[in-house]
Amino acid sequence: MKRIAIFGYSIMSVAVMTRLRDDKYQLLFVGQDEQEAMLMADQGFTSQAIDFRNDDELKAIGIGRDIDVIFCFFPADSDNVFLTISARALDANLTIIAVVDDPESADKLLAAGADKIIDPHEICGRKAHEMLARADISTILDNTVFGQHDLNMAQIEIPPGSFLQNQAVSGLKLNAHHNLILLGVVDKELGNGLHLAIGEQEHWLAEGDVLVVLGTAAGIRAFKEEVARVSGG
Amino acid sequence: MPARLLVYLAYFLASSTHYQHTKQFFYDLLENPNSRMKAYFDVFMICLVMASVFLLIYEVDTPLTRMDMLFEQAIVAIFILEYLLRAWLYNDCHKVIIGYHEHTQYLKIPFRFTKALGMVVSKKIDYLFTPLAIIDLLAILPSYRPLRILRVFLIFRLFKLLRYFDSIKLFTEVLASKRFELFTLLIFLSFVVMIGSTAIYLFEKPSGNPQVKELFDAAYFTIVTVSTVGYGDITPHSTGGRLVAMSLILSGLGVFSFLTSILVSGFNEKMHVMRENRTYSELKRHAHYVIICGFGRVGEHIATQLAKDRLHFVIIDTDEKNVQEAKQRGYLAIQADASKNDVLRNAGINNGATAVFCTTGNDVVNVYITLSSRYLNPDIRIISRANQEHNVNKLYQAGANDVIQPFAIAAMVAAEYIGQPVAFEAIQGILRQENQSGMEAVAVLPGSALVDKSTGELDFAQRKLILIGVISSHVAHQRHKNRYRVNQQHFYFNPAPHFVLQAGDLLVLLGRNVSIGHFRSQFPGKKHRP
Repeated sequence: MKRIAIFGYSIMSVAVMTRLRDDKYQLLFVGQDEQEAMLMADQGFTSQAIDFRNDDELKAIGIGRDIDVIFCFFPADSDNVFLTISARALDANLTIIAVVDDPESADKLLAAGADKIIDPHEICGRKAHEMLARADISTILDNTVFGQHDLNMAQIEIPPGSFLQNQAVSGLKLNAHHNLILLGVVDKELGNGLHLAIGEQEHWLAEGDVLVVLGTAAGIRAFKEEVARVSGG
Repeated sequence: MPARLLVYLAYFLASSTHYQHTKQFFYDLLENPNSRMKAYFDVFMICLVMASVFLLIYEVDTPLTRMDMLFEQAIVAIFILEYLLRAWLYNDCHKVIIGYHEHTQYLKIPFRFTKALGMVVSKKIDYLFTPLAIIDLLAILPSYRPLRILRVFLIFRLFKLLRYFDSIKLFTEVLASKRFELFTLLIFLSFVVMIGSTAIYLFEKPSGNPQVKELFDAAYFTIVTVSTVGYGDITPHSTGGRLVAMSLILSGLGVFSFLTSILVSGFNEKMHVMRENRTYSELKRHAHYVIICGFGRVGEHIATQLAKDRLHFVIIDTDEKNVQEAKQRGYLAIQADASKNDVLRNAGINNGATAVFCTTGNDVVNVYITLSSRYLNPDIRIISRANQEHNVNKLYQAGANDVIQPFAIAAMVAAEYIGQPVAFEAIQGILRQENQSGMEAVAVLPGSALVDKSTGELDFAQRKLILIGVISSHVAHQRHKNRYRVNQQHFYFNPAPHFVLQAGDLLVLLGRNVSIGHFRSQFPGKKHRP
C-alpha cells in the first residue's frame, strides 16, 4: 500500500484526499499548524501538524523511510520549492507532485526535484478549450475513463521473460482477444514518449516496455494476470 | 372613409412581409452599422459627394457641358432619393396609426383622420430637424434653379461626408459633448471682442489713425489679434491702443489654450469608445468567434489554445491591466463589464459568436454572465468556471452547457498521476494533440458510404487508425456489449467487427491528424438537392 503525505490545506488538498480516499492508499495530511490539521481531521483524514522547514520533523512523519509520494499544496510557491528540496534530499526515490501558482515557479520546482507540476489554471484552460474543440471526446473520457463508468486506462510493464517479449505490436490483437484497446507503447530505451499503435512502424516488444491500454477493469485485470502468470511459469 | 382607409393601410403594412423585407433592405443599405451593404454604399456616396464638389470647382472657370449637367442632376437625384429613404426609415408611420387606432378603440372615442395624419407628419418633421437631415437638405437645395444664388452652399455637400466617416462623426460627438464649455468660451470671446473693438475704436479714431475709420475696422483688428494671426494691415498708433492690443494678444493665447484643452479632454474621454469601436469593427470581419469573459490565468490559457487553433476570439475584462496584457499579445480585447447586456450584444453574442467562456475568478460574476448570455442567446454554447463546488449547480441553472472546476480537475490530474503516470501522461498527450496525432470524433453523415458498413469492413489498422469506440443514440446498436451511457447517448467501447454504422454515429478515432483528415475526406456526406 502506497503511503502518501499531502502538505498544505487548500481546496486542492481536500479534493485530492477525497478522490484518493476510496483507493488503496494510506493518506496523511500534514498541516502547518494545529488548526489546519484539525480541519482535515474533522473530515475523517489522518492529520498532523509539523514545521516542514525542519528535516527531523519530515523524517519523523516517514519521509526517507516509508512515504512513497508527497503532494506539495502550500499556497506559496516558495514553500513548495523549499519542501521539494528538503524532501528530495531525504529520499531520492520519492515521487513529488507540486502545485504551482505562478507559472514562472514551475521550472524552479522541477529544478528542486519535483516529478510533476500541477498548474490548476493551465489545466482548467486546457480543459475548457478541449470542451469547445473536442466536446465529444472530452465528454466520453470524463464519463468513462475519469468518471464513474467501468472503463479505465492502465499501464502494463513487460516483465523479464514475458511471453510478450519479441512479439510484434501488430500481432497482439488485444481488442479481439482481451477486449482492450492498445493505445501505444512506451519504449524506455527510446525515451518516455508514447508510440501510438497505429502500425506506422512495426515495434517488437522488449522487457521494460510499457503497454498503455484502455479497457474494462475485468479485461485489464485478466490481461495483467496473464502477463504475470506466463512470466512466472 | 379616409380614416378607415388609413387604418386598413396601416394594418396591411404591419402584416406585409414584402413591405418589412423592403424596409429591412433599405435599413441595411443606409443605417445598419453591421451591414456590409452599408459599408459599400457609404464608399459610393463619398465618391459622389467628392465628384459633385469637384464639379463645383471645375465650374468656376469652365462652363459645364450637357453631360456634366446630366451628371450633376443624376447626383442630385440620388441625394434626393437618399434623403427621402432616410425620412421613411426614421420611423414606422403605420405603427403610429395603429397605436392611435388602438388607443381610440380602447377609450371608445372616434378615430380622427387629421389627428392621425398630424401625428405621422409631426414624427417626420422631427427627422427633418435633425442635424444630419438639415445637412442633407442643404446639399440638395442649392441645385434648384430658382435658388441658384445659394449655389455656394453646395459646399455643404462636404458636410454630408459626416454621415459616412465614423471619425468625423466622433469629432462632432466630441464637440456636442463639450458644448457647455465651448458655449462658455464663446461668451467670453464675444466679451473680449466687444470690449476690445470698442476700446480700439475709442483710442485709435480720435488719435487720427487712418486705418481705423469705423467700428468694423476696430472689430476686424480685434479678431485678427485675439486669434494671434496678426496680419499687420491695421496697427494701433496710440499708447492706449497698443495697451489694448497687448491685452488682446494675452487674452487670445488664453482663449486658444482653453479651446485646445477642451478638445483634448473631449477626445480623451472618447478614446475608450474609439478603441472599443475599432475592436468591434475588427470582430465583424470574422464570421465565427468565441467570447472569453475574464482574462485571468484560465482565460489566458484558453486564449493561447484558441490562438494555436487559429480560431478567432474576443476578450472582455473589466481590469485595464488584463486588457492591456491581452492587447500586447495581439488579441482583440474590450475593457468592459461582460455581465452587461449591451457589452455582450456589441461583442456579437447574437451575430458571430459561437461560444462564451465565463472564466473570471468570481463565481458570482460567472453566474451573472452565464445568465445574461443565456438570456440573450438561448442556443449559444456556454462553458463556465466554478471555483467552489457548491456553485456548479447554480451555473448549470443559469444556463451553462458545461462547468469546469479548476481545482477539482487539477486534483483529478494529481490523483490519476500517482496511480499510472505513464498511461496518464499518454492520455494527456493524446488530448493535447502532441506529435500531430490525437483523438477525434468523426461523424457518419447521412448519405455517407460509411452508413450500413460494419467496423470490420473498414479495416482501421490499414488506415493507420485505432477505433476506440462509437458514440450513438441509435436503437439498432443497443444489443451490442461494452455500452456506456453518456448524457443522452451511448458510448460503445471497442465495437465488434459486425457493428454496423448508422447515420448520426460518431466514430472515436485515434491516429495522426493527417490519417483522420484523410478518412474524413474519403467518407463525406451526400449533399441534399433542394
